[in-house]
Amino acid sequence: MKSMVTLSVNDLSVQYQSQGKKVQAVDHVTFSFDKNESLGIAGESGCGKSTLGLAIMKTLQENASVSGKILFDGKSILETSDSEFTKDIRWKQISMMFQGAMNSLDPVFTIKKQFEEILKKHNFQGDKKQAIELAISSVGLSHPVLDKYPHEISGGMKQRVIIAMALIMTPRLVIADEPTTALDVLVQAQIMILLKKLKKEGLSIILISHDLGIISEIAEKVGIMYAGQIVEFGNMQEIYKNPKHPYTIALLESIPKLQETKRIIPLKGNPPSLVNPPSGCRFYDRCPQAMEKCKKDPPKIKTESGFVMCWLHE
Amino acid sequence: MDDVLAVNNLKKYFVKKGLVGTDKEITRVADGISFSIKKAETFVLAGESGSGKTTIARLILRALEPDSGTISFEGQEITNQNDNLKKIRLGCQMVHQDPYASINPRMTILDIVKEPLEIHNIGTKEERNSLALQALNQVKLEPVEDIASKYPHMLSGGQRQRVAIARAIVTNPRLVIADEPVSMLDVSVRIGILELIKELQEKHGISFLYITHDLSTARYIGHRIAILYLGKIVETGPITEVLSSPRHPYTQALIDSISEPDPDNLYKEKKIRINEPSDVDTYQGCRFRARCPYVIDKCMQEPDLEKISEKRQVACFVKIN
Repeated sequence: MKSMVTLSVNDLSVQYQSQGKKVQAVDHVTFSFDKNESLGIAGESGCGKSTLGLAIMKTLQENASVSGKILFDGKSILETSDSEFTKDIRWKQISMMFQGAMNSLDPVFTIKKQFEEILKKHNFQGDKKQAIELAISSVGLSHPVLDKYPHEISGGMKQRVIIAMALIMTPRLVIADEPTTALDVLVQAQIMILLKKLKKEGLSIILISHDLGIISEIAEKVGIMYAGQIVEFGNMQEIYKNPKHPYTIALLESIPKLQETKRIIPLKGNPPSLVNPPSGCRFYDRCPQAMEKCKKDPPKIKTESGFVMCWLHE
Repeated sequence: MDDVLAVNNLKKYFVKKGLVGTDKEITRVADGISFSIKKAETFVLAGESGSGKTTIARLILRALEPDSGTISFEGQEITNQNDNLKKIRLGCQMVHQDPYASINPRMTILDIVKEPLEIHNIGTKEERNSLALQALNQVKLEPVEDIASKYPHMLSGGQRQRVAIARAIVTNPRLVIADEPVSMLDVSVRIGILELIKELQEKHGISFLYITHDLSTARYIGHRIAILYLGKIVETGPITEVLSSPRHPYTQALIDSISEPDPDNLYKEKKIRINEPSDVDTYQGCRFRARCPYVIDKCMQEPDLEKISEKRQVACFVKIN
């Protein structure tokens, strides 16, 4: 494997235009991670975390407009032309495992054919057979799987195939969008073990998930996303041990633990709509510590290893 | 007897025939399942997909016919007689996993919640309306009048699940079967639903059969648990005891596989004490044999559930400690 990468995202916004309405899916998001680090993006459905992944991959739909800066190893992704991005970066340097991708394997082709298709699309010049075999063995699958059709293999194996497909061009960064949802608990854990192993071998991972548990297996850096914004960012250690944003605190507390019996106080309400989001703090309606001041947009306050967007820590 | 539900030696095999009616493949989705649920108790059925959890729920409600075994509801055996069926279908309600699929998008919330009353012919029109509004109030959907006239698409996932719960409790049931009621919901709204279930139980003494693969939420809400593996209960007992000191290797593997948010995870190797499955006939001997790291010769025989303490049973010759 090649060496790990750095990624820095600065003031990134993505806006979807839909039926005359503007949806601010990603709102002035800033974060970065360094060599030998992986990143976890945590948030609930509709908070914009998948859009964030798609923006880094430059695979957003046409009705999306993007602004801000994404630097991948110092190179500006948004300023790279589509053809150059496809030629040099997409799948070769950054690849993505899309959410639910295991259901998007083509039922009428064997797994091998689908690998060959990817190699062809990305103009692979080397030994195809060897590349495919290397990819499947790195995810713990064996040769016979290649001649099977998707319906003949289990969900866990399909997810491994998807991971192998993301790895086939030996990228340095993989964006994994909810790679374990819809899998059984044991299979989920096995996929996490696999991702941990790949990371050890030198792969950088952006893990997008609602599950703070699996993020703690992988990520040195964590961003907590709420209603399109990253409300808290920093080292995983700091965020998990000493969370500062009331949403992060609520999120961490709302997970029942196996060995604890204390009653958890549920968070009230729902996240705001991203169509014309309210001004001021997005968490205002649900926050147990909301103050008058919170009706104004909260500033980014520096923390030990990152930042928090909350007036409480001014 | 204060058992609301007693299931005894329930069996259901699914037979898949080959194209010409030959090479049959038999799946034993429920193979001698026995358990009982007391009044105001939450009993958890836990296992992976394909372990038979949902099939057991369908057998209880007679959406499926069991091959053998008995189901008694409030002391009365449920057979196919009409009055009997009515009793269980009125007294036992269900909450499904996906609140986006389980409620009809073309009906108003009020109509959805009062539908069971109409089916069972309870009360006059006015009474039904007021019972439905009461149920919505119970599940804390406020303002009630406002919500009642809405359609499902106007509600969030958590609110929809509350509607499904309101529909389940409107007939004043003794038992509610909740099949993965929070797995489709966002983390921050899950606890709200679990707390609601607890509250309804405390207030009305409703018993719950909670079906899940998620041991952490099960732990939060349950009193007793049964771990299912391929159609058989492999371990059962009080939930705290089972999850803090599992005796069956499969229970241990399930617990191993949970990742709780813990900063130390990053530096630890994740280990699940389980083997890769090999090609062993699953129905010969212990079903977990092929994946069990503790397997011994005796496991070629099928272990029965055996009492290991007053309240716990485990089906394993090794009984890890």
